[in-house]
Amino acid sequence: MSDEKPEAEKPEVESADHDHDGHAHGDAHAARDPHAAHDSHAHGDAHAHGADHGLAHTMPLPLLFGVLGALLALTVATVAVTSFDLGAQGNLIVAMAIATVKAALVCVFFMHLLWDKKFNAVLFLTSVLFLILFLSMTTTDRGEYQHLVDEYRAMQLGQK
Amino acid sequence: MSEPSTATEAAKKASAPPPAAHDHGHDDHGHEAHDPIHAANPHLAHHFDTPQQQFDAGKLGIWLFLLTEVLFFAGLFCAYTVYRSMHPEVFVYAHYFLDTKLGALNTCVLLISSLTAAWAVRNAQLAEKKMLMINIVVTIACAFTFMCVKYVEYAHKYHDGLLPGKNFQPKEQIWELKSFRDRHPEAAEYAEKLAKLDEKKPEAPAAAGAKLEGKVEEKIERPTEEELEPLLAAGLVGPRSLDPSAHISRPRMAHVFFGIYFFMTGLHGFHVLIGIGIWVWMLLKAAKGHFGPNYFGPIDFTALYWHLVDLIWIYLFPLLYLIH
Repeated sequence: MSDEKPEAEKPEVESADHDHDGHAHGDAHAARDPHAAHDSHAHGDAHAHGADHGLAHTMPLPLLFGVLGALLALTVATVAVTSFDLGAQGNLIVAMAIATVKAALVCVFFMHLLWDKKFNAVLFLTSVLFLILFLSMTTTDRGEYQHLVDEYRAMQLGQK
Repeated sequence: MSEPSTATEAAKKASAPPPAAHDHGHDDHGHEAHDPIHAANPHLAHHFDTPQQQFDAGKLGIWLFLLTEVLFFAGLFCAYTVYRSMHPEVFVYAHYFLDTKLGALNTCVLLISSLTAAWAVRNAQLAEKKMLMINIVVTIACAFTFMCVKYVEYAHKYHDGLLPGKNFQPKEQIWELKSFRDRHPEAAEYAEKLAKLDEKKPEAPAAAGAKLEGKVEEKIERPTEEELEPLLAAGLVGPRSLDPSAHISRPRMAHVFFGIYFFMTGLHGFHVLIGIGIWVWMLLKAAKGHFGPNYFGPIDFTALYWHLVDLIWIYLFPLLYLIH
């Protein structure tokens, strides 16, 4: 991505550390960032503003650990729910619903889509949209041929 | 390397003599030596104007890559969906061979590594070099744990003959498995009775699935719902079994499940291995102190890739291990 230049940067690193400690700072970013992102695209001047406050939102630690806790709890829930019979497709639907909630948590917080440029979220959702189209078209098509499959099976069994 | 924290430092670098810029390898862009932004940001590539622009471009790039990854895995998820809708009994049958505990353990390991990856991004942004390295090391350790558990699972499947295609020759019958016995003790006992019956009379006359229940009735008492239901669901008896002339046999298409299983988990595992490689590279960069508030893109993008690998496992786990 860029050239490496391993020179003495100790003092810089330490001073940067002092500039950015505490969650208050991170939270302030959350409020400011959307403007910073837009501005930096519109005007060259605003670049300096964006750079002053970092290039992107910084995740506060309590939020990160809270999300992990929720993800682990949902994992326990999805295993526990298999011991209940919720009908032919019921268990699959519940398992997929829990997985989708988990996926959303990972996307929104761990992948910080919430604070990211909306275009990146749109890109990612496009891939999900095409995944859903792909799966639904294929299953619909397969459903159309179900009676042929059934007839073939019945014929095979009859021959034996 | 991080941004200079004071204006004086930036000015100092900006006023550095041009030869410094030539060392940098931008001979044809000598004018950059007079550009204070590039002089102040050694990791800012010459074709970007600002660190913000470089970061945003990289971010767009990684999201485009993740998009193609989703579509890449979509093919396998599609194969899974079609196959499961055609042969639900195969999935019920085969899932007894998978160890839910190991799958759940791997889920937790990956989730924890996702946390440390997200934390590492924060560390890079705040130029916390030591914590950044610790978090990368923990992420790599989790990735290795994941692969070790996967190795245990694969080795177990290899030993038990649970391989795709022609190599699918299970050494154990499903009713001998603890996972089956624990959940359906009555059905397991009943299945054993049926299996013994088949052993005694291997030349039993061919019978269509419809006749099967009647035949069973002659030899042993009529099964209760609890005894029969799990066997029907797993395609062990009835028209979907491999050999309808026998009282009990595995479902016809059972081997295809393990094709799907090995492809999906294998491709995912391959992504984990690549992830380990990239994290090691990032660890080396972090050790050199490259990252700070104005340059943390590589850590962020690696973490995004890592979260996607986690995301795929979040779906693979219930689809393969938690079939009801």
